[in-house]
Amino acid sequence: MVGEIGTLLIGLSLAVALYTAYAAWRSIQLSAVPATAAQGKTWLQSAQNATYALAGLLGAALLVLLVAFLTDHFELSYVAQHSSTVIPVYLKISAVWAGQEGSLLLWCALQALFAALSTGRASERARPLVPWAMVFLSLISAFFVAVTLFLSPPFTLLAQAPLEGRGLNPLLRHPGMIFHPPALYVGYVGLAIPFAFAMAALITRQIKEWTAAIHTWTLIAWLGLGLGLLLGMRWAYDVLGWGGYWGWDPVENAGLLPWFTATALLHGAVMQEEQRGFHGWNMLMVIFSFALVLFGTFATRSGMIQSVHAYTASNLGGYFLTAIAVTLVGSLALLFTRRAVLKTSSATVENLLSRDGMFFLTLALFSTLTLSVLVGSLLPTLTEVFSGQRFEAGPEWFDRVTGPQFAVLILVIGLCPLLGRGVAALKRLQQLRWVVIAGAVVVPVAAAMAGLTEVFSLIGFAFVGFAGAATLAEFVDGVITRRKRTSEAFLNALWHLLRLQRRKYGGYLVHLGVILMAIGIIGTRMYPFEAQTSINVGQATTVGEYTFIFEELKNDFIADYSTTWANVSVYRGTTYLTTLQPRLNRYTGTEQTITVPALHPALHEDLYLILSGWTSNGETATFKVVINVLVNFLWLGGLIFLAGGALALWPRMANRTWNIVALVVGLFLLIGAGWAMWGMSHGSVSYGGGRPLVGQQAPDFRLSLLDGEMVSLSDLRGKVTVVNFWATWCPSCVDEMPDLQTVWEAYNGQNVTFLGIAYQDSETNVRSALVQYGTTYPVGLDTGDRIAEQYGITGIPETFIVAPDGRVAYVHVGPITADVLSAQLDALLK
Amino acid sequence: MQNKTTFMIAGLLIVGAVIYLMVSSTGSTAQFFVTVAELQAMGDAAMQRNITVSGAVLGESIVYDAMAPRVTFTILNVPADPKEVERRGGLAQVLHDAVQDPTGPRLEVVYNNVKPDLLQNEAQAIVRGKLGTDGRFYADELLLKCPSRYEEEVPAQAGD
Repeated sequence: MVGEIGTLLIGLSLAVALYTAYAAWRSIQLSAVPATAAQGKTWLQSAQNATYALAGLLGAALLVLLVAFLTDHFELSYVAQHSSTVIPVYLKISAVWAGQEGSLLLWCALQALFAALSTGRASERARPLVPWAMVFLSLISAFFVAVTLFLSPPFTLLAQAPLEGRGLNPLLRHPGMIFHPPALYVGYVGLAIPFAFAMAALITRQIKEWTAAIHTWTLIAWLGLGLGLLLGMRWAYDVLGWGGYWGWDPVENAGLLPWFTATALLHGAVMQEEQRGFHGWNMLMVIFSFALVLFGTFATRSGMIQSVHAYTASNLGGYFLTAIAVTLVGSLALLFTRRAVLKTSSATVENLLSRDGMFFLTLALFSTLTLSVLVGSLLPTLTEVFSGQRFEAGPEWFDRVTGPQFAVLILVIGLCPLLGRGVAALKRLQQLRWVVIAGAVVVPVAAAMAGLTEVFSLIGFAFVGFAGAATLAEFVDGVITRRKRTSEAFLNALWHLLRLQRRKYGGYLVHLGVILMAIGIIGTRMYPFEAQTSINVGQATTVGEYTFIFEELKNDFIADYSTTWANVSVYRGTTYLTTLQPRLNRYTGTEQTITVPALHPALHEDLYLILSGWTSNGETATFKVVINVLVNFLWLGGLIFLAGGALALWPRMANRTWNIVALVVGLFLLIGAGWAMWGMSHGSVSYGGGRPLVGQQAPDFRLSLLDGEMVSLSDLRGKVTVVNFWATWCPSCVDEMPDLQTVWEAYNGQNVTFLGIAYQDSETNVRSALVQYGTTYPVGLDTGDRIAEQYGITGIPETFIVAPDGRVAYVHVGPITADVLSAQLDALLK
Repeated sequence: MQNKTTFMIAGLLIVGAVIYLMVSSTGSTAQFFVTVAELQAMGDAAMQRNITVSGAVLGESIVYDAMAPRVTFTILNVPADPKEVERRGGLAQVLHDAVQDPTGPRLEVVYNNVKPDLLQNEAQAIVRGKLGTDGRFYADELLLKCPSRYEEEVPAQAGD
């Protein structure tokens, strides 16, 4: 029933999409002739209604699929493949787009929704372009719906409904993966809008205003792509367990390529709207953006490009290649026929060392970047054709080729605000020369002082400092200028500045974000650090400036997977940092194992720990340690980037209340994202103060003794104190009690105190044990496990010997013998 | 005094620089991308070069030393041409056939790193590294695609 409804909805959608194209086309024909203009209008209205109907139908189909997941309709093959009864609700929702069929349906639904909104709510400027835009958008919709319906239907039924589904791919059970596809699709789908309107502009020869007409949509698509890419990077970092965030995999590149051209388009649009030309550039950028979107889908779904990210090989490849070909040939041909119009309306950029020149450089660089990444992704095919031998471009190739280009872009980001248009150009540069020179010097010097001395990285840092200083100067300058006029407080002025010039300052904010991201990229790419180490239980090992103590290995069963993890205490020198729990999960449904890394973030670097293996008796474990230098600048930069984009998108006409609401919601989201990345533990737990290392100050505590007295460790300064954690229910603790008493009696009178701390025990039992073993040294109960937590004990018995100066002199995990204890005390009492 | 020519020159310079970067990187860092059979055919030319080989993983050959960590396994020849793959019934079928064929060209791979979760029988492996003098392939990077039982996007664990 559910399956049939779903398929029916998709089938109807195809019909409606085709009708829309026809109706829009009819309306164009009829409106061209004054006599039939009224009819034309009717047809146009009908087409518009049809776009809403399409959005409704596909939305409904998506809803049906969602309901099927939520109600465990395992007779649907797609649901059975990606869901199960035991996964939580929020994962069932994201399972809808976990596979090819569902994600295509999501694509179709978004496509239809955007088409309806962009045409139905088009601005005045966009109105003339709507009919043709509708034609193209509905044809694009028809293509995707047809592909979904005939080649990748989500509602196919299984002959027999299984009782339990296979469960969601464990790698996808991460918040990043839930939002990553929808965000990416907003980007991909969104780029069809500027494309359709651009084609409409070409056909109707109204090419001046199209970028302004759909500026918001371009921005939405660009931001969606950016968010999708950032989420993908963070997901890879958190989940994939190799310590990196970008592999230059062809499918990753497939998301990056349209983002490059979309960024170029956004910049070119600024020029076009300021009557500075760039019409041809913008047309090319939008055409390639859409073609690259199709290429991206092709890369992900056809299996023809060697990539580990791709969906398995399917029959979609040929159809997408045809679509790409048709799009490119058609639009470029159209562009060619309209070249006269483009030429006459283009202003010329006069001076390379001007703002216009910088925009030219920006577009040029994004074009070469697109070309570079495209060539890299297709290198095997290209080299085979040209030289007969297949070469592949690895991450090294991409870094080497794109690195310098990105570096120059950062430089351009810095130069642009400094150069005026034309004559005023160098004046601004003059005014700010000390500021930017300071920036260009301070950052590399700071980096070098922190130990980062690679030449190329220092050059990169210099560019970063330069660009950062120039961009920040823009904000300061803007506020100062405004305050001259309005005498507002600084923050007030800043608020109004941002409110009134969203695109400009949103853009600068995005630039700041990119500059910060560049810091993170320089750090991680140029200072990679990775090491393997094996540690025995209870032992310590030093890697770099970190010391790791492998405490123990543990096991558990949760829902549909079993998990094994290691408790590893991490110290820098003698300072306890945290306890990390890298783990390995084994999923029963899909028989997959997933390594889940543990992360300790800090501003200057991330410590990244992976559990790679262990011996069957749990005595030894092997770990991989990755240190990611400066990586948090990448994530921080990403957040600022998104904030800037959101600011640029916020509508001008919003009233005060909406602005405040937006600010609050925006801050809330940013803080939420920040908390998710740095506030939540990624496999790290804090044991109070951790187990104090030898040489560390022993944590002070207050113990309530059984005889009613209260003693604190600090009172015992000047004496050697033996602190013993034990319990009556622990056999080895009980074993060591006679030894402890013996030593106590032998050393009583010398400068030694003993403190017995009973862990999770009852007074009655403790008292009887003391009587039974004749224990005469002071003993107390650790109420609430507070002292145990302070000392980071992970089991009992554990004994600490504290020297007269309060420092830990000796730590013994497990039962201690009289000989060992005496020897230690002798050494200390000397 | 700037005019079209200046921009043309600037543009050409940029494009030229980028093309130079691409070509020089291809020469020095790009990897040969071959199948097992092609690697064997290369003979001595294969030594000392960065190479990327793809093949089907023979599950029963996987040996993992968790303490080192090191994993060794054998990969079998899989044709690279997508059309050929299509002709033979799709990637899953080709991987399966390769594993079943006892006479096909094979290559032993040594990977000094954590065993990736996706290393299983009939997985498609893409290994980057160098051919050793002992005829075994020493991998710096190992990328795996899942056997198509999982008809969905399964990003692999990339080792480095």
